[in-house]
Amino acid sequence: MMSYSFLPNAVLILCLGSLVQMAAIAAKRHVGRDALIGFLVLVASLIGIFMPTVLIMTGAMPLFAPDPWASYNAALIVLSAMAIHIMSWRNPVVEDEAVGSEYYLLLTLTTLGSVIMTAAIHDITFFIGLETLSLSLLGLIAFRNRRIDAGEAAMKYIVLSGVSSATLVFGFALNYAETGSLRFLSPSIANAPEPILASMGVILVLTGMFFKLSAVPFHLWLADVLEGTSIPVAALVAVISKVALFSAMVRYFSSVNLYVPSAQVDEILVVAILSMIGGNLLALSQTNLKRLLAGSSIAHIGYLLVAFLSPGPFGLASAAFYLAAYSAATLGMFAIMAGVMPQGADIDDWYGLFRRKPAAALAMSVMLISLAGIPPAVGFFAKFYIAAAGISAHRILLLLVLVLSSTIGLYYYLRLIRIMMLPAPTEASLPEVEAPWGGNTALITVLAVATILFGIFPSGLVGVGRNLLAPPPPANAVADNTAGVGP
Amino acid sequence: MFALPALVALPFLGGLAAWLVGIRGPSRMPWIASLATVVLQILLLLDLTLGTAGMPGWRAHFAAPWVPLLGIDFRLDMDGLSLVLLWLNVLISLPCVLLSSRNVRERAGLFHFLILATVAGINGVFVATDLFLFFFFWELMLLPMFGVILIWGHEGRARAALKFFLFTQGSGLLMLLAILALVIVHAQHTGVLTFNYFALAQTGAMSPLAPFIMAGFFIAFAVKLPMVPFHAWLPDTYAESPTAGSILLSGVLAKTGGYGMIRYVVMLFPGASAHLAPLAMSLGVVGILYCAWLAVSQDDIKRLIAYSSVSHLGYILLGVFSGTRIGMEGAVIQMVAHGLSTGALFVIAGFVEDRTGTRDMSRLGGLWPAMPQFSAMAMFFAAATLGLPGLGNFVGEFLVLMGTWQASHVMTYFAAAGAVLSSIYSLTMMMRVFYGPPKAPDARPLGLPSFSHLTVLGAAAVLLLALGVYPQPVLNLSTPASLHMVDLAEETAR
Repeated sequence: MMSYSFLPNAVLILCLGSLVQMAAIAAKRHVGRDALIGFLVLVASLIGIFMPTVLIMTGAMPLFAPDPWASYNAALIVLSAMAIHIMSWRNPVVEDEAVGSEYYLLLTLTTLGSVIMTAAIHDITFFIGLETLSLSLLGLIAFRNRRIDAGEAAMKYIVLSGVSSATLVFGFALNYAETGSLRFLSPSIANAPEPILASMGVILVLTGMFFKLSAVPFHLWLADVLEGTSIPVAALVAVISKVALFSAMVRYFSSVNLYVPSAQVDEILVVAILSMIGGNLLALSQTNLKRLLAGSSIAHIGYLLVAFLSPGPFGLASAAFYLAAYSAATLGMFAIMAGVMPQGADIDDWYGLFRRKPAAALAMSVMLISLAGIPPAVGFFAKFYIAAAGISAHRILLLLVLVLSSTIGLYYYLRLIRIMMLPAPTEASLPEVEAPWGGNTALITVLAVATILFGIFPSGLVGVGRNLLAPPPPANAVADNTAGVGP
Repeated sequence: MFALPALVALPFLGGLAAWLVGIRGPSRMPWIASLATVVLQILLLLDLTLGTAGMPGWRAHFAAPWVPLLGIDFRLDMDGLSLVLLWLNVLISLPCVLLSSRNVRERAGLFHFLILATVAGINGVFVATDLFLFFFFWELMLLPMFGVILIWGHEGRARAALKFFLFTQGSGLLMLLAILALVIVHAQHTGVLTFNYFALAQTGAMSPLAPFIMAGFFIAFAVKLPMVPFHAWLPDTYAESPTAGSILLSGVLAKTGGYGMIRYVVMLFPGASAHLAPLAMSLGVVGILYCAWLAVSQDDIKRLIAYSSVSHLGYILLGVFSGTRIGMEGAVIQMVAHGLSTGALFVIAGFVEDRTGTRDMSRLGGLWPAMPQFSAMAMFFAAATLGLPGLGNFVGEFLVLMGTWQASHVMTYFAAAGAVLSSIYSLTMMMRVFYGPPKAPDARPLGLPSFSHLTVLGAAAVLLLALGVYPQPVLNLSTPASLHMVDLAEETAR
């Protein structure tokens, strides 16, 4: 049987683009030009996603699956990367001329790693993508090398990321031992010669993924890392890496019947419940906006896991919709932070923003009500969609936890709106409000308008999100493909 | 055909216009814009009423696809019950807008936008017949109300606003689960994914899950109404809201709970709600007595009205679940009468607070000589609240008690006892605020009430009298249309 290996256009373009960027930096440093090249590379890869695949090789083992699920998530990632690119401009951290150029190179590499992960159907490609993402992210986190908290954040990230990668690889190794295949797919435990070993492998892979996704109880690094990095990089950690990992995780489990209780399903179930409650409780008590968003992002991973655990007509479609809604709102929050008050990480700094900068405060409120799931913002429809998926899969317990925890979530999202509406209680000297640069203003406007418009007219996005991921072909077809890498 | 969507769009767009003219212009501009909006809305509703006069059942329809892949339509239908409550809504929104010219000077545009957006959401709730759309409006009306309480409320506003939002939204999410469960059950039975009220009404009641699904709806409406164990948010919220907010909250927002009980709990799940009825009615009676008791012991005039309001809402619960036609009719009359009388009392409380600077009844007293016209009005509405025959509240309570009598004698005794308590607190309020010697040493006239105040209160008084003397038109109108008029609705929609 002949098999094909695809190389998604976006991966190709991002690889070539990063080489161009490297060459440009090597020739002569010029931050503005390097940033522009980086942006153009992202634009080109976005276009590439919607083009027919160029590179199809025959006779090799499949590394990538060029299916709609990969394209959808890759598009989401590249769009987010463009947003982060825009909000990085004029960021006082990046404006340091001596080191600026590499920042955009690292951004391209992170995008590359993430895009690889969305399409990977082989353990090796997945792992390469993951490590490309992690290592370039480490560079971005540590970029502000003169600041002590950046170093601390980078240290924390590298250690935990290393541990989780090791766990993941160990899991892959066990899977390989069981099935003799490096296909990026959860092995069917029932048919494995040693079910316990196979199940062990899956759980190790899952644990590694949860580490990177920062689901509770593997979440401890996220708040510190977000607090320590610059705002655009925090957005990157909170959005791009989550989208990439979540989409890969969905692919890994696409062959597992999640209706049947098993060790791995139970683990996901427990982690989903813990993430929803834990993330919201974590966010509840924060005084720092970035740490609050860390908690919120953990909680949203929990909601996504509810969709993940609800297979059926709505499950994946609702997860895809939710990913888009979550990305838009979270990126919007970070874009406003970066634009208006890059130094003001304290929630108390945001008192009276409605008086000082009404447009920014309004946009921020739009993002917050979207994250809280209140109409007419898109987050409302997204949460509704997930609840529909959960009900149709009879995940009643998960849904009750979702209701409870999003009520907790309401409290801190609304508290932020409240703070922006009220004048400061004490005559504390609030930090200066800055005017965001034109591109960032445009970005915020686009995100806010999209958040409202997709909330009122969700039909289009619902249509895009359906039938993204077909179940993988049966196992005997796979055996041929992986013959080349057998022992 | 476009009258129903216009009913939702008009206040919203009018509010937006008010906001825009208020950004640069003087603070009077938004007031004029939103007043014009309310007047237009009254005309629109008048046109709709006259145009559909005499039509039985469902009177107006609108349908357009919204998210076809999930079976969600933008579907609005209006029957007599909707029409009565729509009228209540516009009539209550008029004083909210009219009387705010004095109190709201700062950011008037935003204020009018938020008030009118709430009105738009409430209008939507009363006419939506797609369950997703209904939920959309249900949630949509909360957010602007939150803003009104938060920005223009009294000292404890931040806490009150959050409490209000958390209670109503949290319970709303339970309703969302119930809606989804109903839709999925329907889809499993028929293979059609739809949120259409009429389609779901066919299967919803049959499912063995009906009691659980109904419970989700019931809790959401019970929180909004509010029913007794869920009423904790109400006194704070009412007391801390600005006057317009209190009027809107007590006048109409609470009625969406009653409307939901009729339209979604009783009519979608007749069997399950008959099982629930004894519990709901007992809680209604407990609410009547307990909150009346609490109202007697309040010092804050707004909290007194708030508790009295909860107490009277118990009658609505009683009427809806009495299982009799007469009780249901009484509940609708009570909704209208309660909206008018409580709204008027909040106008008066707001005026007293405005002029004397306090809501504490232990520091008020002897206001009658200082503001005679107003005190007479207060006496009238206090009398309405305590159920004086000849006024709307009496008709409502009487019909409810008659309905309840057929269901349970014991509950009727206790519910009727609530009327005694309500005369105690109404008259106590009158005595402590308006009669007796003046507390302030230099009692002077507090200024004449403005013309608009007198107009609004006078109009409410006339309507209450009319409702009390000749309630038949409202009774004829208010019977909810049966679900089997669907065919007509479908035809007209196409």
